[in-house]
Amino acid sequence: MRRSLIALAALAAAALPAAASADVLDKVKERGTLVVGVKTDYKPFGFRDPSGAIIGIEPDLAADVAKKLGVKLELVSVVSANRMEFLRQGKIDLMIATMSDKPERRKVVQVIEPLYYSDAVNVMLSDKVKVTKWEQLKGAKLCGTTGAFYNKDVATQYGPEIISFDGSEKPLIALQQGNCIGYLYDQTFIAGKLLDAEWKGYHMPLPGIMETPWAMAVAPGEDRFAKLMSDLTKEWMKTGRIVELEKKWGVKPTEYSERMYKEYKGS
Amino acid sequence: MSGGRILPVILPPGARGATGGPWRAPTLRARHGAVLVLALLLAVGAAEAAAEPGRPSILGTLWRWTPLLLEGFVFNIAISLLAMAIGTVAGLAVGLGLISPNPGVRGVSWCLTQLFRNAPWLVLLFFVMFLLPFEFRVGGVTIPFPGWIKATLGFALPVMANTAEIVRGAIQSIPYGQWEAAESLAFSRRRTLWTIILPQCVKRMLPPWMNLYSLVAMATVQASVVGVTEMLTLVSEVHAAEGGRPELLAPLYGYALLCFFLYCYPIGRLTARLERRFQVRI
Repeated sequence: MRRSLIALAALAAAALPAAASADVLDKVKERGTLVVGVKTDYKPFGFRDPSGAIIGIEPDLAADVAKKLGVKLELVSVVSANRMEFLRQGKIDLMIATMSDKPERRKVVQVIEPLYYSDAVNVMLSDKVKVTKWEQLKGAKLCGTTGAFYNKDVATQYGPEIISFDGSEKPLIALQQGNCIGYLYDQTFIAGKLLDAEWKGYHMPLPGIMETPWAMAVAPGEDRFAKLMSDLTKEWMKTGRIVELEKKWGVKPTEYSERMYKEYKGS
Repeated sequence: MSGGRILPVILPPGARGATGGPWRAPTLRARHGAVLVLALLLAVGAAEAAAEPGRPSILGTLWRWTPLLLEGFVFNIAISLLAMAIGTVAGLAVGLGLISPNPGVRGVSWCLTQLFRNAPWLVLLFFVMFLLPFEFRVGGVTIPFPGWIKATLGFALPVMANTAEIVRGAIQSIPYGQWEAAESLAFSRRRTLWTIILPQCVKRMLPPWMNLYSLVAMATVQASVVGVTEMLTLVSEVHAAEGGRPELLAPLYGYALLCFFLYCYPIGRLTARLERRFQVRI
């Protein structure tokens, strides 16, 4: 046992320089495969089909990157707890995993600018509720999730009464039972719900507010790859690729992606 | 006979236990599996009733995802078998180390056993997952070191420590007179151990060892916590892919429960049978 422990330690030591090797782009080309970390429990951004394949908007973006590099694509399932660790270890070359852009995260990984996507705050409403502006929700009862940072801001700014519940299932049930007219939550979450037959008869008519942009990331110091990704992101925005993918996966295009499309279209 | 109590002198056969001795503990039987299936069907039925019409049926949903879920389950079995194989070989060595005449070897073996037997399995798993690299280079060739192999090593450590204790216990359960007899017949210590003591130990070790295996098989779902795509991970991903409907939770997890029962039940039965067969009769 002692011997095997020593062997393990030696292996660990031998592997350390491998993790800190030169340029990830060269490594990808040499390997012939680009390894991208994506979510597998976030419909429709990254989820599994019955064959086990990972599909969704982010896997499609990953496929675009692999195509651009002329290599094969390998998708690795990541969760919030390990996605940055995997990137730093070199287990994945690129992370497209619904990660909100936060200053403390920028210290750990290299974020690609411009930010490719953005979540926002929105309301899921019954089809019967016809509104076009947030102000029209004044005095209306909305269900919310306890602890969501925007509950208070929305209440003071637009005046709805917010009834809070734990988690995301309870407010949805309350909405179905008619305790409130809508559910105030993350736009991407609502977009995912609206894909399900259970929520036929509900919609999301308002524009998203209080955007929280999502960031793709590469390992720190991979400037060449970051530059390439940055150019590719601009190209996506120019060609409307992200809006196109939203439509493909049945998501109502976000304010952010439409704005970026408009902004870059002429450039 | 003032108290009406029958004196335990000439009890009829089979009435033992009625006087306060140990009663026979209930045993796991196949019908308990039937109860489990029934419970799953009930959960499905309840979910079906809670679902609104026009949505895909729960059984149909389970059926559609079965190939993927079973693929994950095969992974659980592979992890458990491999961890058991590695842990048993290492555990045999450590167990023999525990009774070694060399105090240094004894001490190291004792430390290993205590450390890995008393640490929570999940803690060991985290250590292995985050301390070992995901790939290593040997002479310019990159050998990947995927998460499930790391998890296997993480499970092999407690298996090793527990096997070591099983080995030590079995060796010590062989009457000491056999060692003395062997010594008087000029057997070396090594020969005594390998040709006299250990062969008798095998049948004593088998039931607790199989018991340990059942535990390992069920513990493999913990690998989902550290990001290995095994059955439990897939169950939650399937739940997400189905829109996170709450009424799907009980059927989906019940399905996983049933898979583990169907796999571990025969092992449990076999263990019980071997235990009866190798019982030391007085």
